[in-house]
Amino acid sequence: MLGFSKSDRTRAEFEALVAPWLDTLYAGALRLTRNERDAEDLVQDTVMRAYRFFDKFERGTNFRAWLFKILTNTFINGYRRQVKERSLGDESERQSVEAQFFSADTTDQAQNPEDYLLQRVMSEDVLAAIDTLPIDFRMVVILADLQEFSYKEIADILDVPVGTVMSRLFRGRRQLEKVLRAKEAVQGEAPLVDLNAYRERKKLA
Amino acid sequence: MNCRDVEPLLMPYLDAELVDGERVQVEQHLAECGPCAKHAEVSRHNRTLIRTLAKAGSPMAPASLRASVFQGVRTDEARQRQRRSLRLSAAAAGVALCAFAGHSQWRSFQRRLYVEDAASRHARQFPLEVRLPQPEALEAWFDGKLGHRVAVPRFPNAVAAGARVLNVREKQAAYIRYDAPARESARPRQVGLFVFGDTGNDVDVGARAEPDLRNSNGYNVVSWRDGDLVYQLVTDLSEDDLRELLPPEPRELRAAPALAAPARPALDVQPASYRP
Repeated sequence: MLGFSKSDRTRAEFEALVAPWLDTLYAGALRLTRNERDAEDLVQDTVMRAYRFFDKFERGTNFRAWLFKILTNTFINGYRRQVKERSLGDESERQSVEAQFFSADTTDQAQNPEDYLLQRVMSEDVLAAIDTLPIDFRMVVILADLQEFSYKEIADILDVPVGTVMSRLFRGRRQLEKVLRAKEAVQGEAPLVDLNAYRERKKLA
Repeated sequence: MNCRDVEPLLMPYLDAELVDGERVQVEQHLAECGPCAKHAEVSRHNRTLIRTLAKAGSPMAPASLRASVFQGVRTDEARQRQRRSLRLSAAAAGVALCAFAGHSQWRSFQRRLYVEDAASRHARQFPLEVRLPQPEALEAWFDGKLGHRVAVPRFPNAVAAGARVLNVREKQAAYIRYDAPARESARPRQVGLFVFGDTGNDVDVGARAEPDLRNSNGYNVVSWRDGDLVYQLVTDLSEDDLRELLPPEPRELRAAPALAAPARPALDVQPASYRP
């Protein structure tokens, strides 16, 4: 009970630093865990751990990146196993895949330029598409496109080289677009049919 | 820079991750190459759309989480503090244990000091208060002087010279001096015997049942306990002479007894007379 005032001050400082990022943390946690209950638990655990290690945080450095490092570590160490997340094989397999895709995928894409994604795509579609990505790609896409961290920051958060961040992001985004385009194709037909039916009804009316 | 060189740089370019040199080169190529410019435009559009929609669709932290998240920190902090204080008490217990161990070390050291003190006091040849050869007379003289009754042992090969009251450390003791007869050409030897009460078991007389023989300041000191009384016999006699002096079962004085330890000290320390 001694030193209460000191710890109170530290906690007040901590809470003031964390509060602005709660929504962001929750948004990231939700895409990682893919369900609201686990996401809340993950944020709770993350904040708790962050407070425990708060004395290790260097004041004035990137607090948001520090929080997300704890978030992803907490997720990888706890929730990932629990959620029975399927990962990308072992490290060697992953590297060979990453080594190949740049040459194969990029030429492939250069020959067949992709189309615009239509404005008709909804937020839910994008989030659902992100959720289909394998965890290693998903983490990079969440950090880059949802949280807008730089490659360097993502590399620090995930403890991988910047080159790995780039290759995972490239693949993750490509797959994301593929999923969205497939969704679009399914959705694209339904409104057209409905529209024709509507016009027919209009004419009759 | 051609299309092939630009392709892998396009994504980092759109993410504003290229350093100036590369960025300028990519921009130059895009300005000259229609298909790549078109591809870059599509990619930029899709990237922006995905980002915008993902962010727009992300829900805010639920109120329940906002309400509980710092409460969790507080609870955890209290738990941590408790754990720390537990660790602290464990440390305190450790210190106490060390103190206890230190104390028992200290105590066993203290217990051994009686041997040293008896030897050094015997060596100083304090004058005797009474010179009487008969053990019975000495016992009578000690009567009432000390907190305990003094039994003056008789040794077959030594004669009592006299006695006095003399402390061994903080304990008041009966000091009885015996003269051992000269052997061959050697001068007569003196034997000092301290008898004092030790109800608190403050004196180390060895763990074994038989008398404990130690050497201190060139003297042999034999210690034994009989009930609440401790006997310390100090002499410059050699171990062999000591056996002659204490003949009943002199073998028992050996440090490493070949025989089974006797239930009682083999020395004859029975009172010379019994006065209830």
